[in-house]
Amino acid sequence: MKRKKIDFIMDIIVTTVALILGFIIVFPLIYCFLSSFKTASEFLEPKLFPSSFKYLENFKNALERGNLVRYTLNSFIIAFFGSATRMVLSILAAYAFTFYNFKGKNFFFFMILGTMMIPGDVLLVTNYLTVSKLHLLNTYLGVMVVSFVSASQMFMLRQRFKSIPKDMREASSMDGYGDLWFIWKVLLPLSKPVVTTLFIQGFINLWNAYLWPLITTASSPEMRTVMVGITRLNSWEDENYQLVMAGVCISLIPSFILFFIMRRNMKKGGLDGSLVG
Amino acid sequence: MKRLLAVFMLFSLSFSLLFASGSKEASETKTTLLGEEPVTIVFWHCASDESGVLMDKFIDTFNKENPYKITVKGIYQGQYSDATTLMKTIISAENYSELPDVMQMDATGKVDYFSSGRALTASDAFASYGDISSSYIPVALSNWEYQGVVLGLPFALSTTITFYNKDMLEAAGWDKAPETFQDIIELKRDMEKAGIEAASYGIVPNTPLLANWLGQMGSYVVNNKNGSESMATELSCVENGKLEEFLGLWKNLYEEGGVENKSLSTNQFVNGEVAVFTSSSSNVSSVLEKVGDKFTVGTSTFIKVNDEAEYGATVSGSCLVMFDSKDELKKLASWEFIKYLTGKEVQSEFAISTGYIPSSLEALESDEYKAQLEENPQYRIAPMQLLSTPSEMKSVTVGPSADFYYAIMNGTSDMLKNNVDPKKAAEDLASSLQALLDQYKRNNI
Repeated sequence: MKRKKIDFIMDIIVTTVALILGFIIVFPLIYCFLSSFKTASEFLEPKLFPSSFKYLENFKNALERGNLVRYTLNSFIIAFFGSATRMVLSILAAYAFTFYNFKGKNFFFFMILGTMMIPGDVLLVTNYLTVSKLHLLNTYLGVMVVSFVSASQMFMLRQRFKSIPKDMREASSMDGYGDLWFIWKVLLPLSKPVVTTLFIQGFINLWNAYLWPLITTASSPEMRTVMVGITRLNSWEDENYQLVMAGVCISLIPSFILFFIMRRNMKKGGLDGSLVG
Repeated sequence: MKRLLAVFMLFSLSFSLLFASGSKEASETKTTLLGEEPVTIVFWHCASDESGVLMDKFIDTFNKENPYKITVKGIYQGQYSDATTLMKTIISAENYSELPDVMQMDATGKVDYFSSGRALTASDAFASYGDISSSYIPVALSNWEYQGVVLGLPFALSTTITFYNKDMLEAAGWDKAPETFQDIIELKRDMEKAGIEAASYGIVPNTPLLANWLGQMGSYVVNNKNGSESMATELSCVENGKLEEFLGLWKNLYEEGGVENKSLSTNQFVNGEVAVFTSSSSNVSSVLEKVGDKFTVGTSTFIKVNDEAEYGATVSGSCLVMFDSKDELKKLASWEFIKYLTGKEVQSEFAISTGYIPSSLEALESDEYKAQLEENPQYRIAPMQLLSTPSEMKSVTVGPSADFYYAIMNGTSDMLKNNVDPKKAAEDLASSLQALLDQYKRNNI
């Protein structure tokens, strides 16, 4: 009886803490959403709610001035295909580093991990030069190509794959199935939560990218991404945050859709995280 | 022998005639080239929000109305610092075909543009297409001079002025704006006596502000006249003791409660949280719009460090520069477009809609702009201050402009936060700024 009471109290404490933490995390989004319905003068008042949810001028202006429909589509194409390609390459590399034995395996793996230490800004000119020489400037591929390989994703996936018994691969090979079949039918279903979480993480990184897409699409304004569009809503002369908030709300729609589609797998990833590694 | 000499002279004459006619043809081609065939030029700009809407409108109008079959493709390239990073990346990669024909640039891009190897400066254009420098406010044009070369023509011209809440000041017994640091301290005391809880002033000095205040004290921040004559290599405000003197005055202002150690910007001012704030004159329009009927906004000249200080503030804003595309038609088209954007009509409309000062003398004297000044006295301060600021007061041009900006902010803010002695703070700040200059010099010379 006493045990049950302690459990009950613990449940209440944990739930309350979780709710408070959840609210702290979600609050910026709520604030952003509510502020996007405010007028310029309302935004400056210290109150959370707008006087009316019928004021849609900010959304209209954001769509018009920031060209957000086209830019959101561009961002989605870049983020989706960029993170999908990155995932495929990371899975294949992690698979090789886990299940294959070859000379210098650890050396190459740590060399790849070492690239994580190089700050992205240092590579800006070199990457630009490479993309320019490949005639990929002002193309989707040019924006995506530098994010096709991710050392951190390879590392995470390798750790996950290492937790899967090698016997399973041997069994599948004895049944006459090749590596790709094993990856597709056995490895990926078992690693779904990790793969989904990493995919979403990659998607968000590419979605939030600003400087690289700006630089690689310098001559084609129609190829710009949503983050560039949002900067056009604010200016040095006039801080129009309510407009920016509306722009951010619009830009979040595809991410939300993706999150809702994949949330179940992500949740599972969080729960069985202890198995990773 | 005589016959040989005659033949030689005949040849020489023919050659010289041939070359003479060639050069005449080239000069005629130059003037008649424009308008003969359509030409498209690329224009990078950083105008966003309302300014962006105006910029799009100007480009559309030019494309429709210019008689030379010029089409301008305007491309927004983010903030000034983003556009400068983009320019630097392209130049480093030597991918010159990606450079625009015309670019809107602020002071952060000056040095990189000048040393790009592809600059087609306004001085070059004056020499090739006619000198129109007398059409612009001299101090505005000289702001874009570097190593004796005018880099571009001034487009968005502004200066730092003081905004104040007239109603709040009146409630504290003030019928005019504070003029010096000491005035701000006294204003704060009067505000407290009147039970007004708002801050009197709140800002963290950055590069332009430091240049203004040191300029008022007769010192430059860096050598070579704040880097306007040639590359800045060392600080000018250390040995003459002016940096330490300024930091002492700033610390005193803070300790007496006159200033808060944070940047209280437009929104805090509009909300009545601060009585006085200093900002670009380009904000006049948006401040007035946001304040509306809440209180009366006053504007005055930039705050002085003390009574002995000189009056004024440096010029800021952006200019339009050209790149050498090696295509004469494009260069002529670019020059036409720049002349249009810095001409009377565009400059007066841009100034009326935003608060920027027209760079064109004709626009400054136009009836539309004069009517605007008549109707809205808050707009009058900026052009008046700009025209009477000593020409020797220069804005700072340094290679590592962004790092310099934040180093100054961090140095002055940390001094107040950690209660550091101004002498020590000046030494620390000087050493971090000098390190930035040295690093830039090492990497670029």
